[in-house]
Amino acid sequence: MASGIRDRVVIAGMGCTEFGERWDTGPEALMVEAFEEALADAGIERKQIEAAWLGSALDDVNIGNSAIPLSTALRLQNISVTRVENMCATGTEALRGAVYAVAAGACDVALALGVEKLKDTGYGGLPPRTKGLANDLWMPYGSAPGAFAQLAGAYSARHGVKAEDLKRAMAHVSWKSHQNGALNPKAHLRKPVSMETILGAPMIADPLGLFDCCGVSDGAACAIVTTPDIARGLGKNNSVAIKAIQINVSSGWESQYGEWDGSYVRNTREASKRAYKEAGVTDPRSQIDMTEVHDCFSVTELVTMEDLGLSDEGRAPFDILDGKYDSGGKLPCQIDGGLKCFGHPIGASGLRMAYEVYNQLLGRAGERQRGKVDFGLTHNLGGAPANSLCAVSILGRLER
Amino acid sequence: MPERYVRSVGAYLPLLRLERKAASAALSWSGLGGPRTGRRSVAGWDEDALTLAVEAARLAMGDESVRGVVFASTSAPFRERLQAGIIIDALGLPADTDAADIAGSRRCGVSALRLALRDRAGSVLIAAGERRPSAPGNSLQLAWGDGGASAVVGDTGRAKLIAEATINLDLVDVYASEDHPLPYQTEERFIREGAIDRVFLPAIAAALKKAKLRPNDIALAAVQEPVAGVYKAVAAKLGLKAPNLCDRIGEAAGDLGAAHALFGLALALEEAAVGDRILLAGFGSGCDVVILEVTSGSAGPGPATKALAQGTALSNYARFLSLGGSLDLDWGPRSEVDQKTSPSVLARHGRDMHGFVGGRDNRGNVQFPKTPIPVSPAAKGPEDLQDVRLADVPARVVSVTADRLNFTPDPPFYFGLVQFENGARVSMEFRDVEGAVPKVGDSLRMRFRVKSIDRKRGFRTYFWKAAPIERPLLEKS
Repeated sequence: MASGIRDRVVIAGMGCTEFGERWDTGPEALMVEAFEEALADAGIERKQIEAAWLGSALDDVNIGNSAIPLSTALRLQNISVTRVENMCATGTEALRGAVYAVAAGACDVALALGVEKLKDTGYGGLPPRTKGLANDLWMPYGSAPGAFAQLAGAYSARHGVKAEDLKRAMAHVSWKSHQNGALNPKAHLRKPVSMETILGAPMIADPLGLFDCCGVSDGAACAIVTTPDIARGLGKNNSVAIKAIQINVSSGWESQYGEWDGSYVRNTREASKRAYKEAGVTDPRSQIDMTEVHDCFSVTELVTMEDLGLSDEGRAPFDILDGKYDSGGKLPCQIDGGLKCFGHPIGASGLRMAYEVYNQLLGRAGERQRGKVDFGLTHNLGGAPANSLCAVSILGRLER
Repeated sequence: MPERYVRSVGAYLPLLRLERKAASAALSWSGLGGPRTGRRSVAGWDEDALTLAVEAARLAMGDESVRGVVFASTSAPFRERLQAGIIIDALGLPADTDAADIAGSRRCGVSALRLALRDRAGSVLIAAGERRPSAPGNSLQLAWGDGGASAVVGDTGRAKLIAEATINLDLVDVYASEDHPLPYQTEERFIREGAIDRVFLPAIAAALKKAKLRPNDIALAAVQEPVAGVYKAVAAKLGLKAPNLCDRIGEAAGDLGAAHALFGLALALEEAAVGDRILLAGFGSGCDVVILEVTSGSAGPGPATKALAQGTALSNYARFLSLGGSLDLDWGPRSEVDQKTSPSVLARHGRDMHGFVGGRDNRGNVQFPKTPIPVSPAAKGPEDLQDVRLADVPARVVSVTADRLNFTPDPPFYFGLVQFENGARVSMEFRDVEGAVPKVGDSLRMRFRVKSIDRKRGFRTYFWKAAPIERPLLEKS
């Protein structure tokens, strides 16, 4: 019987670039920037890295196919390097690869790096996909906000929440994250935004307004992982351990088969259930101290609070409006500003979330520090709610 | 000699109707324009002659089975790609159904009907559709409309062939050519005279003579005029008393080209009593005339009458020009997406896409598209799915949004998840939504539409989109 990866791998060091419109910085420089910070944080030499995972989602936007862009950017000599892509969970997928390699004993030190250079597309939003494949013959070409906006109407219909109440709760999600992001020097957007501005913003996809949507940006984030023993050898006596990483992927149940009503994300429910079990978390509401979730759109964060079991079903809008997830609330969410303030360089986002949890666990989050943090959770959601994939990771202190 | 009949008819218009007075107002500074009263039917960006013909054909087909399909249009989207074959797929007909596309002049819809009635060879569907390009300022742009009409012909049915006649004359009232794809129009007074004296009078007289009928034996007429007033003059000279039902189409939707007279026939059959004789005439480089005798009564106003009365008025002239391709807006980089279609992918999946055919697995679950291993969590491995057509299955909204980021030629882009009554569920684009976003639980109907247009390579694909079940009335009673 598999016992999971809990406490078998620790983070030796992490790095994260400033996210934003990095017009003057290419993908290679972004990778180097995140990597050098992680290397210095880990206190190791680059030659100690035995395997690496590159996460980048959009192969046609500047990074390129294969693992070669990473190995050439960092000049990694004669080690195995792998590129992974799993939509918006790509960064966490890269981390999972590196963690599994160390947990399996295949290597002692591994690197996970996620990067995306989206601003070179020359327009807002993600590039529309098209490959001339069979799905293009029937599948509607909706945008990401369009796909996630549909959660709102379905949520209102299921829970009888009035559209205006849901709109206010969504606006609070964004208001809260922009408050937090203003304190983060690495965030792309660092200005608080008023509720009035958020509520009055132009519509992008009904009922999501401009501030209900995260932007896109350039950025990279990186983790170096190793065994607890090696970390202790490096003088790290308060290591951040990987407690769980779980991924759940749609099989077509939501979009082609099930009784799914469109108001929640099943993959988040399944991935978090398994992650809690792997991490030994029995009561997430009391044990998890903070979350970094996939707030691509405000309504996504709202339903995610229920899907993670942190709010009762139908109650997330009210918990949000009550401030439960604000930085000073009972269970802060997006204490670093989230996707709303960092934007979403897809390959990097999962590792950027882990970077904040890691710093909070180590008490290094500066103005944003949330007292003592014992458990933090990251959550990525890729695709569309009807056809998605979800990654949930839990980080905490090493317990052995 | 076996008798031949029109068995059923169909008539379809797109949702939008341009207020001609709004267009005239926008053009008043120029002195150009065309007709200033009534409305002109306007195809959506994803409707063309083929999709309009398919929608009309669905209305005529019901439970009919036919051995052949003829697609009639002067604005067919393809010159080399058989569109009647796509209609066969879209209607779920067998692949060995006879198929032919005809064109050449806007009379081709009636020509196809006349030949099918004269030919003693089983049931045939004639599906006509028209979405003719035209230039702003040319009066034809406001006088013409977009739409489809259809008829099924067989050895029994609702209206019996009494007589038919034809006359050919290279009277060029309007032409479009390889070198001049937009219509070029001749002086109206010349056309009126030629059409009356050299086309309609001899052809209608010949048909009446063959039928052994007097002009006042005709109860209803569906005559496509090249210019207004032609039928009135012909009727006065011959002594015809029947009203021309095509006048109503011209006022409410415009001249529908190859579908025009067939649409008029659909109106006539909705009004006719048993024993009524209907005069049908299609015009263009001469004319084809058919006289029918109604053998079973109408159930009252049907799809054709409804099509004229229902829709959404459009007074935004710029939107009209953009929808018709007369105004080439710069939609920005998001519109630069490459829509290339792989012919081998199309060959593998085309029939299921055009026919909206999903599959039923061994447990009875219906899914779209078909997959080797069914979506049902109970499936243990690959199965042969049984074909299930979804085009006519009742459906409702699971989730939906109006997407203003995604590029579409007619924003916003409505899309969402659709639940079919038989258990299938499909992510779909929603069309014919003007105003409020549909709500969770709203009923939907399926419409055959253009899925994607590859402008770089001049290709397009077709699929089905979800639309609200009912259309609003244009005139509030």
